[in-house]
Amino acid sequence: MYIRSNLGGERLIQSDPLTFITLTPLAVGLALLILPYLAPASMADFTRKISRSLSMGVALAIFAITTALFLGQIGNIDWLNLQGEYVFQNEEVTLLKSIGVQWVVGVDALSFPMVWLTALLIPISMLVEWDAKKGHLFHPLILIMEGALIGVFVVLDLFVFYVFWELTLIPMFFLILVWGGDDRRYASMKFFIYTFTASVLMLIGILVMYFHTGEHSNLETLTKHHFDLVEMTAQASGNGLIAGEGLRHFVWLLLLIGFATKMPSVPVHTWLPDAHVQAPTAGSMLLAGVMLKMGAYGFLRIAVTIFPESTVVFTPLLIVLGMASLVYGAIVCMGQTNLKRMVAYSSVSHMGLIFLGIATMQPLGIAGALFMMFAHGIISPLLFAVAGAFKHHYHTLEIGSMRGIAHHSPWLAGHMMLGWMASLGLPLLAGFVAEIAVMIAFWMTFGWLVIWPALTLIITAVYYLTSMQRTIFEGGDPHVGVLPDTMHGEEPRDITWHENAGMFVLGALTVLFGIMPFIFWDMMSDWSTEFMLETLVQAMNSQGVKP
Amino acid sequence: MLTIEEMEILLPELTLVAGIILAVLIPNLGDSTLRIPLTRTRIPVFIGGTRFKSTSDPRLPARIAILALFVAFVFSFLEIKSASGEVGGVIEITSFTRMMSFVFYGALLLAAIATTYRMPARLSARAPTEKDSESRAEALVAALMDNRRQVDFHILLMMVGLGMGLMAMASNLFFMFVAIELASLAAYVLVAFHKEEEVGGEAGAKYFIVGSVASATGIYGMSLVYLWSGDLDFDALAASWAAMDGLDPFAVIGVGLMLVAFGFKVSAAPFHLAAPDAYAGASSPVAGVLATASKAMGFVALFRVLIEVTMPEEGEALWFGILAIIAVITMTWGNLAALTSENPKRMLAYSSVAHAGYMLAAMAAVGSGLGDSSTTELVLVAIVFHLTILVLFKLGAFLVLGMLETEGRSHRLEDLHGLAQRDPLIAGSMFIFMLALAGVPPLSGFLSKLLMINGIVNISAGTGSTSADGIIPWAETVDPVFWLAMAIVLNSALSLFYYLRIGLVMFFEAPENAKPLRKALHLRNTILVLTVLTVFFGIGSGADYLLELVKEAVSDL
Repeated sequence: MYIRSNLGGERLIQSDPLTFITLTPLAVGLALLILPYLAPASMADFTRKISRSLSMGVALAIFAITTALFLGQIGNIDWLNLQGEYVFQNEEVTLLKSIGVQWVVGVDALSFPMVWLTALLIPISMLVEWDAKKGHLFHPLILIMEGALIGVFVVLDLFVFYVFWELTLIPMFFLILVWGGDDRRYASMKFFIYTFTASVLMLIGILVMYFHTGEHSNLETLTKHHFDLVEMTAQASGNGLIAGEGLRHFVWLLLLIGFATKMPSVPVHTWLPDAHVQAPTAGSMLLAGVMLKMGAYGFLRIAVTIFPESTVVFTPLLIVLGMASLVYGAIVCMGQTNLKRMVAYSSVSHMGLIFLGIATMQPLGIAGALFMMFAHGIISPLLFAVAGAFKHHYHTLEIGSMRGIAHHSPWLAGHMMLGWMASLGLPLLAGFVAEIAVMIAFWMTFGWLVIWPALTLIITAVYYLTSMQRTIFEGGDPHVGVLPDTMHGEEPRDITWHENAGMFVLGALTVLFGIMPFIFWDMMSDWSTEFMLETLVQAMNSQGVKP
Repeated sequence: MLTIEEMEILLPELTLVAGIILAVLIPNLGDSTLRIPLTRTRIPVFIGGTRFKSTSDPRLPARIAILALFVAFVFSFLEIKSASGEVGGVIEITSFTRMMSFVFYGALLLAAIATTYRMPARLSARAPTEKDSESRAEALVAALMDNRRQVDFHILLMMVGLGMGLMAMASNLFFMFVAIELASLAAYVLVAFHKEEEVGGEAGAKYFIVGSVASATGIYGMSLVYLWSGDLDFDALAASWAAMDGLDPFAVIGVGLMLVAFGFKVSAAPFHLAAPDAYAGASSPVAGVLATASKAMGFVALFRVLIEVTMPEEGEALWFGILAIIAVITMTWGNLAALTSENPKRMLAYSSVAHAGYMLAAMAAVGSGLGDSSTTELVLVAIVFHLTILVLFKLGAFLVLGMLETEGRSHRLEDLHGLAQRDPLIAGSMFIFMLALAGVPPLSGFLSKLLMINGIVNISAGTGSTSADGIIPWAETVDPVFWLAMAIVLNSALSLFYYLRIGLVMFFEAPENAKPLRKALHLRNTILVLTVLTVFFGIGSGADYLLELVKEAVSDL
C-alpha cells in the first residue's frame, strides 16, 4: 500500500512539479470538454454538473503547489541564489528524437513569478465569473488556458514552447467568440489573425535558429539539429549561434515582431483594445494579466538571451517602440469613454515601460521591467474585474453615463479606486515600485530623456483621476447620482460575493507587493544582475557600448 | 504458377484479386439450374436465376471490398520490415514497396468506408409505384441505382488498389506502366462514377482525356528509352545510364517524356490543370484517393526513374534545374489558385498541387548532388513520410467533405459555414486537418515539412558566405538549392490564409441549415481516429516509430 501511494501523484509532484502543474490542467480541462460528447447521457450530465467545481478545485490545487514551490515546502529552493541556473529541471523526455524535441521544464527567477501569477489569476478569474453562462464549458476552457500559459513559461524547448504559445490562442479565442460582447466575431478574428501571423514570423525565426544549432549532446537526431533552449543558449554565449551578423539581426527582428505583437507594442497593438472590450471578464483578466507578459517573457528569454549583441545594436529601436507605446497609449487613454478600452490602452502604455526597462541595459532597469510584468499582472486583472462587474451590474461601459457609484456600490467603488491608484503608480502600491525602478535606471542611462516617461505618468494620473471623479463621485444628487439608461429603471446593486472575493484578493496583493516588494523583487534583481554580468556586458563590450 | 513462397510475399495483392473475383461472383449467385439436354434432370449451377436472400444484399460488395482492403492493408504493414523477394523477373518486393502499398491500401480502405455513406446501399429500396409522389419516386430510383452500382464501384476500387500495389513493386519499366494504367483506367471511371450529376461526367471525361494523352506521351518516351538501351529493367537502365558517354538524345528525350506522364500523376504544374476539375467532380472519397494514393503512385514512379535510374553517383543530375523550376512553379501556382477558389474541393485540389510542389522541391534538392548520402536519405525519408501522413489529413479533410455530401453537396464554401455549431467534433477535426496541411506544429504536417526544409538546408549548408556584408552579396554566394527551402517557407506562409479561412467559416459564419450533421457512425469514428493520428504522428514516440519505419523503407529503395 505504501509503495503504491509513493508512486502516485505525491511523488510526481515532489520530483517533477512543473510537469505536473502544466499537464494536469490541460488533461482535466480537455477531459471535461470532450467527455460529455462521448459518454452516455447520464454520465454526461454528471460531468457537466461537476465540471465547474472540479475546474476550480484543480486550479486551487495548482495554486497551492506553486505557492509551496515558492515557500520551499517542495524542493526547498533558495530563490535568491539561483546563479543563472534553472531549478526543478526534469529528466529530459524525448518527444521527437528525429528532429530533437524534448520535454524539458525548468524555472528561474524570470519565469517563476509568472508561473505563480498564472496559478493565482486562474482561480480568481474563475471565481469572478463563477456564474458564467455555459459554465460547464467556460471553466474547463480557463483550465486549459492555465496549462497552456504555465507551459509557455516553464518549457525549455523551443518547439514545445511554440506549441504552448499557439495553444494559448485557442481557449482565448473561444472565450472571446462564445462569451464575448456584441462585436465578438470581429474581435476574436482580429485577435487570432494578428497574433497568429506574428507567431508564424516568430516560428520562422526559431527555425532559422534551429538550422544553426549543432548536434545535441545526448540526442542523436536525424536532422543533426535540436530545439533545446539551454544548449542553444550555451552555444550562443560561446561562439555565437549564428555566425552572420546580418542574419542574426534579421532573426532578432523576426522574434521581436512575434513578441511585440503579443505584448503588444505600438504599432502592432490594435488587436488588444478590441479583444479586451469584447472579451468576457475572465478572458480580459487573463489576457492582460498573463498573456501580454508572454511577449515580454519570450523576448527576454529567447531574443535577448540568445542575441544580446543584436539587442544592444537595436537599443534605439526598443526605446522608440517603448516610448511610442508609453506616450501614445497614455494620450489615447485620455480620449477614451469606454472603461475597458481605457484600461486596455493603459496596458499598452505600461508595456512600453517594459521595453524601456530592458533598453536601459542595467540590472535595475531590467529588474524593474520584470517587476512591472508582475505588478501589472496583478493590477490590470483587478481593473478588468472592476470593469467587468461594472458592465455586469450597470450594463454599460461608458465612463460618463454612470455617476456616483460610491453611493450605490461602495465595494465596487473601493476596488475601482484601489486599482486605478495602483495603476497610476501611487507609492506603497505594487505599480509604483516597478515604475520608479525603471525611471531611475532610465535616468542613469539616458539622462534627461527621462522627462518623457515621467510626463506620461502625469498623463496617466490625469485620465485616471478624471474618470474616477466622473464615475465614482460626481452626480447631481449625491444620493442618486446619474444612472445609465441601460439600467431600465433597475435598482443599482453592489457586486456579488464572488466578484467581491476575487477583487479583494487582488487588491490585497497589490497593497502587499507595494509594501513588501522584496518578496519577488530580490530574486528578480538577482536574476537581472546575473543576466547582465553573464550575457549583456560582453555583448556591450563587443559592440563598443560602455556598460 | 506461383510457388508457395511467392504467394506468401504477394499475399496482399492476392487478397485483392480474390476480393475482385468474389465481388463479381457472390452477388450473382442464385438458384439457376441447367437442364441437361434431352433429359429432365436439372442441375443447379448457382450463377444467375433468382438470387438468394443473402447474396442479393446490396451491402455485400462494400463489405467484400472493405474486408479485402483491410486484409491487404494489415499484411502490407506486417511485411514492411521483413519484405524481400522477387517474382517472375518483373516484381521485386522490398520494404519500400510494402511501405507504399501500406499507404495505398490505407487510403483506399478509408475511401471504401466513406463510400458506404456517400453512396449507401439501402435494403429498403424498392421500385416506385404510382402512389409515390414525384420526389419520393425520384429518391427511390436513385436509391435503386446506388444499390445496383455497388458492385461496379467496389470492383473498381480494388482494381485501383491492385494496380497501385503492383506498380510499387515493379522492377521493370514496362510492367510499371501497365500497372499504372490498370490503376489509372479504374480511377477515370471512379471519377466519372456519378454520371447523374453534371460535373461527374465532365470531370471524368477531362481527367481521362488529359490522362490518356499524358500516358501516351509516357509510353512514347519509354519506347525511346527502349530504343536506346534495349532493356527496360530498372537495374539495366541505371547501368546503361551510368555508362552513357555524353548525352544520348534518345535517353534524354525519353526520360523527359516520361516525366510528363508522371508529372500528370503527381499533378505538377503545368500538367495539373485537369486535377481541380477531376477532384471537384468526383465524389469526395474518390477525390481523396486521387490526392493521396494516386499522388504517391506518381512519386514512386518518379523515384524509380529519377533517383534509381538517372541519378549520377556524384554531381548534379541532369533534371535538377528543370525539376527545381517545376517545383517552385507548382507550389506557387497551387497556393495562389487555392487562395481564390470558393469551392472547398477545388481548394483542396490546389492545395494538393502545392504539396506536390513541396515534395518535388525536396526531390530537386536531392538532384543537386550536393548532399552526402545521409542528407539525401533524410530528404527521401521526408518525402515518403509526407506521402504517408497525407493519407491522414488530406484524405481526412476529404472524408469530412464526404460527410457533408451525404446530405447534399460540398462544393461551395457556404456548405462548410457554421459546421462548428452543427457538429463541434467534426469541425474541430477539420480544423486540425487544415492546420496539419498548413504545417503548424505539433501536427504531423509540420514534422514532414520541417524534415524536407531541413534536408534542403543541410544540402545547401555552408554555401552562403558568412562574411557577406549585405543581403544581396550573401544571396549571390548561396547555392540555388537554398532558395527551394525559402520557396517552401514562403509558400507555407501563403497557404495559411486559405487553410485558416476554412476554419473561420466553420466557426464564424451562421450555418445555412442548422440541423445537426448526420450521425454516420463509422465515418465519424474514422474521422476522429484520423484526427488523433494526425497529432499522434506529429509528436511523441508515434512519430519516431513511423519515421523509423519510413527510414527502413527508404534505405531499401
